[in-house]
Amino acid sequence: MISFSFLLFLTEADQAFVTLATTDAYSMGALVVGKSLRRHGTRKRLVAMVSPNVTREARLSLEEVFDEVILVNVLDSQDRAHLSYLGRPELGVTFTKLHCWTLTKYSKCVFLDADTLVLCNVDELFDREELSAAPDQGWPDCFNTGVFVFIPSLETHGQLLQHAAKHGSFDGGDQGLLNSFFSDWALKDISKHLPFVYNLSVSALYTYLPAFYKFGHQAKIVHFLGGTKPWHFRYNQQTNQISPGDLDRILEQYVNLWWREFYSHTQQQVIKADSHPDTGLTQHSFVSRPRQSEKKSAPAQAVSTLQTSSPPLDTQGTVAETQTKEEERSLELRLLTLDEVSSEQPDSSVQTSPSEQPEEMHTHPKDVSGPEAEYSAYADLHNPAPGQGGTGREPEAAGGSPTPSEEPAPEPTPVETEEEKQQHRRMWEEGHADYMGKDAFDNIKKKLDRFLE
Amino acid sequence: MPLSRSLSMSSLSGLPLWEEESLPVEDLYLFEIAWEVTNKVGGIYTVIQTKAKITVDEWGENYFMMGPYYEHNFKTQVEQCDPPSAAIKIAMDSLKNSGCQVYFGRWLIEGSPYVILFDIGGAAWNLDRWKGELWDTCGIGLPYHDREANDCLIFGSLIAWFFKELTDQLQDKPNVIAHFHEWQAGAGLVLSRSRKIPMATIFTTHATLLGRYLCAGNVDFYNNLDKFNIDREAGERQIYHRYCLERAAVHCAHVFTTVSQITAVEANHMLHRQPDVVTPNGLNVKKFSAVHEFQNLHSTNKAKIQEFVRGHFYGHLDFNLEKTLFFFIAGRYEFSNKGADVFLESLSRLNYLLRVHKSDVTVVVFFIMPAKTNNFNVESLKGQAVRKQLWDTAHAVKEKFGKRLYEALLKGEIPDMNKILDRDDFTIMKRALFATQRHTLPPVTTHNMLDDSTDPILTNVRRIGLFNNRNDRVKIVFHPEFLSSTSPLLPMDYEEFVRGCHLGVFPSYYEPWGYTPGECTVMGIPSVTTNLSGFGCFMEEHVSDPSAYGIYIVDRRFRSADESCNQLTQFMFSFCQQSRRQRIIQRNRTERLSDLLDWRYLGRFYIHARRLALSRAFPDTFKMDTFVPPPVSTTQGFRYPRPQSVPPSPSASIHSTPHHSDEEDEEPYDEDEEAERDRQNIKAPFTLGAVPPGKKKQPGEYGN
Repeated sequence: MISFSFLLFLTEADQAFVTLATTDAYSMGALVVGKSLRRHGTRKRLVAMVSPNVTREARLSLEEVFDEVILVNVLDSQDRAHLSYLGRPELGVTFTKLHCWTLTKYSKCVFLDADTLVLCNVDELFDREELSAAPDQGWPDCFNTGVFVFIPSLETHGQLLQHAAKHGSFDGGDQGLLNSFFSDWALKDISKHLPFVYNLSVSALYTYLPAFYKFGHQAKIVHFLGGTKPWHFRYNQQTNQISPGDLDRILEQYVNLWWREFYSHTQQQVIKADSHPDTGLTQHSFVSRPRQSEKKSAPAQAVSTLQTSSPPLDTQGTVAETQTKEEERSLELRLLTLDEVSSEQPDSSVQTSPSEQPEEMHTHPKDVSGPEAEYSAYADLHNPAPGQGGTGREPEAAGGSPTPSEEPAPEPTPVETEEEKQQHRRMWEEGHADYMGKDAFDNIKKKLDRFLE
Repeated sequence: MPLSRSLSMSSLSGLPLWEEESLPVEDLYLFEIAWEVTNKVGGIYTVIQTKAKITVDEWGENYFMMGPYYEHNFKTQVEQCDPPSAAIKIAMDSLKNSGCQVYFGRWLIEGSPYVILFDIGGAAWNLDRWKGELWDTCGIGLPYHDREANDCLIFGSLIAWFFKELTDQLQDKPNVIAHFHEWQAGAGLVLSRSRKIPMATIFTTHATLLGRYLCAGNVDFYNNLDKFNIDREAGERQIYHRYCLERAAVHCAHVFTTVSQITAVEANHMLHRQPDVVTPNGLNVKKFSAVHEFQNLHSTNKAKIQEFVRGHFYGHLDFNLEKTLFFFIAGRYEFSNKGADVFLESLSRLNYLLRVHKSDVTVVVFFIMPAKTNNFNVESLKGQAVRKQLWDTAHAVKEKFGKRLYEALLKGEIPDMNKILDRDDFTIMKRALFATQRHTLPPVTTHNMLDDSTDPILTNVRRIGLFNNRNDRVKIVFHPEFLSSTSPLLPMDYEEFVRGCHLGVFPSYYEPWGYTPGECTVMGIPSVTTNLSGFGCFMEEHVSDPSAYGIYIVDRRFRSADESCNQLTQFMFSFCQQSRRQRIIQRNRTERLSDLLDWRYLGRFYIHARRLALSRAFPDTFKMDTFVPPPVSTTQGFRYPRPQSVPPSPSASIHSTPHHSDEEDEEPYDEDEEAERDRQNIKAPFTLGAVPPGKKKQPGEYGN
């Protein structure tokens, strides 16, 4: 419980990242948005809005990553929205998106489209005012609504709906509506212009490739604009690559990154479905091994004797095994498996069930502990080296799969110190070493002297 | 013409013999680990690359360098081959079998040492685990945004892993010495020590991380050395993790060395460990078989600079080029660290002094410091074009003149001087003269500066008002680009340029070693340095009267900035008052110091460090008491004596009038006699095996 409250302290509960999933496919994207935010150690709440046509299974999988999953339905929302909708039925999805302004329990939010991928911690976005957004690549005097900062307010929401009913949207979508509503964005206050790196349209790269080579490494959020989304590509999990040659190299790298992010979470669920559909508590296994890296060309022998208490090494064998399992699964299959997971856990309300709370509090540090794991994938992207495979975070899951009989051992004290150790290390990795206190070099020296004797 | 160097030192035979037995190198492996092996990033590359030759001479096949693998570097600088030793091959294979890439080859530099290169990107998938290991070892975490530090950890982990595999193979024999350079290799040392790998470790820092940061931040560094709270300073500058790695490596090493006395002082405060050995940086000195060849090179290159000056100052050439001295400062554009601030202030004072003394000497000062520019400016290029045009005009008139003279002589008469040039000729010449008139002052900078209004050199030039006026005796030419032999303006490479100048001025504030004055010295060009630069300290220690040998050392450590400026002004003023003959003598003396800077002399400090490390790591096998006590201190080293003849310094030779010609210079001087005297004063040379005869030195090996 100590660690849980500590984490609460870290989370600034009145600010949130918001995303929206209107189909099952988009909920894959939303999952990646949430996962990538967690990986980069965001301290904000995560909120996913889903429309009614999103299946319950997909919604449940979102609940494992997001603090809050909200069902939004145009037709049973407030009357004014309802009425506006009746006047302009073509703006259906747009009205769904506008729902984010009703999240008034938060003082400020950042909206991220479900087809974005976060590459580093972007909590600094909350320093911006409403409405801050990055220019659209097609018409830079308009902002792109893939990433924007806003302040929830029912009043604004109402005005937006009125505006929509009266003027419609010049492009038929939310972007046209919001741009005509916040029409002074282009001229009034330059501080509301987010840098392009916060909403880097991958499809824009061809038009100005030299700029990408110069500034691309600074990208913070990638936006997969256009008709082809990352989830449309087939991903070979053995090679950690999508089938090559489909698209240009830069896009390919980002799509690979997206898939790695996707699998870093969902594979674990797949295994859960395979080995013990009833408990879903194998997540405990990765508490004790929070930082393992996958081995790319792992030896083929299967190490099946792994216990959760074993040191965080030698998981390669099982990883390979898991990967072979995953090898031929196509995207559709995976989606199916996703469904299975949830359908076999009919009443797994992860957020509320008290028995599952410890699990919840362990997943968080794990989720945010390893932003550097992304490092190698990121290095891969910007400094492509031959023969370099990517890094995935699958081994956590691998630790769990061969031990189906494993009990959810609570062991509070060791976990706690491990937790603290993790936390301590994370502070360093975020550049907050306590150099005037416990991290003073004299203490490091003492550690060194242990082995120098 | 440059010829191969013979082993016998040309002008000076003597450097003290080291009475150390050589190490049993056949029973040892020496590894030298640095981020800049085959990978030029900064100055360490020069050190490592030039030192390779003497180390290979000593260690032969048992010497290996280790660095990061980059495909481009590998293709252009390394010839791949198989490891000569089975143990190394097995260790490499073991890494390869675990999915990391390791490459072996010969580095294509002088001495062609073996290199082992580790692919950082290819091993990045281990980063998370290795960060965990580092964390468990010493409690240092690396921020994920610091890419360089993360790369260094991957590098260090690979190194430690390699050594583990290697020493498992070797057991006890041969023993391993691992010499790590700079903090980037530090993680490798710490991890190796924590795993109790049996080897002798040396850590060399060329500058401390924190010292560099503090000096760049314009802190009064040397006066507050003992007052800094270093943990806090590092933490506030966001480099705490790097600083911890560096200090941890220093703490774990058997032997800690640094490159100069001044950096030793710095390290003592910034890293809290007194270096065991000072290992100065050397050069591969190029010698010419012809005596005084460097003097001839000086005059030919000086002629090229004079041509440039003729063009640059066209219309204002009212000074005597024969009595014009060329000073220069060169290096990275760090305005205060490199001492450009002090230099400019002193130049303004020098200008004043020369004017009140009605000196006929003019000083043209070149600033060779790369800044952001928009290429050459029109005025500079025009100057060179005008010079060319005048030359062509003169040439055309000369042709006609010569023809008429010839015809007159053929007729058997003395030509009528009034008729030998007709009106046409005068018209041509007058037209050329009018075309070349200029209404502006010669430009201070040769390029269009991007930050013209904020550039520190230009703003200071404006402040002190040195705009190349006619009555200024000090003229300034700021060339904000490195020199190149293909430049349309000043077509010389750096070495040629240095040889053509009279004095290099490097009044640096922060300069752990400082290759620039060293390069001047080995080319026989006097230079100004400071007692805050490693080079200056070294010279002060080894030479009794450095200024007689053309090494002027400004005291910036114990004097105020104003006093330092006065001292520098005095040095330059006295240099201006020397006669040509005195300058020639001084250049001979300067050049004679180059043996002192040769790796063949300075390499011995590294030898000593290795010996010391062995005795500490393997006290049973290698006992230090059989060795000669460390020759680090001043008294143990040797000092070049004060020259016997009257030094060319002005204190002895200030003339009552500024007009003195070379003829009235009556100082007794005999070059051979003096060289012989030096030879007797100094002990026999220290040699490291035979140098293969006829081995040519590559030109331009002085870096920059």
